[in-house]
Amino acid sequence: MTNIAEARIRREFKEVVKSDEVAACNIKVELVNDTFNELRGEIAGPPDTPYAGGQFHLEIKIPETYPFNPPIVKFLTKIWHPNISSVTGAICLDILKDQWAAAMTLRTVLLSLQALLAAAEPDDPQDAVVAQQYKENHSIFEKTARHWTAVYAGGPKSYPDLDSKILSLKTMGFEEHQARAALSSKGWDLERATEYLIN
Amino acid sequence: MASYFDEHDMSNGEGSAQPRPDQSLLLRILEMARLLQEEMDVEIVSDLGFMSVSGKAPPASKKVVEELETKLISPASACLGKQCAICLVSFVEEDETKVLPCNHQFHSVCIVTWLKQVNSCPICRYELPTDDPNYEEMRKHKARAKQREYEQETLHNSMFG
Ligand SMILES: [Zn+2]
Ligand SMILES: [Zn+2]
Repeated sequence: MTNIAEARIRREFKEVVKSDEVAACNIKVELVNDTFNELRGEIAGPPDTPYAGGQFHLEIKIPETYPFNPPIVKFLTKIWHPNISSVTGAICLDILKDQWAAAMTLRTVLLSLQALLAAAEPDDPQDAVVAQQYKENHSIFEKTARHWTAVYAGGPKSYPDLDSKILSLKTMGFEEHQARAALSSKGWDLERATEYLIN
Repeated sequence: MASYFDEHDMSNGEGSAQPRPDQSLLLRILEMARLLQEEMDVEIVSDLGFMSVSGKAPPASKKVVEELETKLISPASACLGKQCAICLVSFVEEDETKVLPCNHQFHSVCIVTWLKQVNSCPICRYELPTDDPNYEEMRKHKARAKQREYEQETLHNSMFG
């Protein structure tokens, strides 16, 4: 790792740790090792969104050329959101790609991701299935996102009707997350989800 | 615009020596339609331009970067404790810096490295000229589109405002 990248991450690390947002438990950054090229981030789901009450973990990799190139960030916590892959956690956000600027920091990245959770951009999707549901069946989208937040991010809202559909797929021998993902993409239609899993 | 006159059963002032009372309004509507049409053309052009630069802005013009004046940090300004937003290190006496036209100041080595990659200020995105003719063309179109937007607004306000 080049000196400028490491020196900057050290400074930023202090900045995030001291920030008001950390005090309010909104964002957090932790080191994975002492080389400063990989970090773990954490953001709280914004209030009044399907992600409220959830804590979302992020993998942050710092390239050699940082801050001239953006950090490489993905969600480790599974999440149902149009701009985040429900499979890999990859993120579609302009500032992590061509709109990066060298004055941005880990703090601004984490706050931007939090803003993305509050305001999705379904016309520039990472996950086409989620984006379509967001646009065409918004109430199902919200319920699904809230359910994923509860299951994977420690959110408060449980839906017994959704749980029982997952259970019936589990009794057919499907793995729980696979069942949840299939039901989620098929608008919680048990028949269509079963068909999808079999094919 | 023919359909506009057809639909409204108007003859476009044909054969009337006297200017009709609503003629100036019609002219203004025509002007607005022209502006809208041009705007649509511009959008198509800028979409193409955008594709050709694949989303990321090109480096700043080599000549423009070379011509940025180097400014040494004075003891007085070192005392202000300002820092370079790229490396996050506070400026100290004798540091070599450059000030962009937007007035943002960085270490010379930091900002030159950045401008070799992207043409804008890392803080406010003020754009420096580039050596990329496609990108410059797209920027000109964008500036014109903005000017038209302003003209349309003025026109709209003069008609309905
Ligand atoms: Zn610097
Ligand atoms: Zn600036």
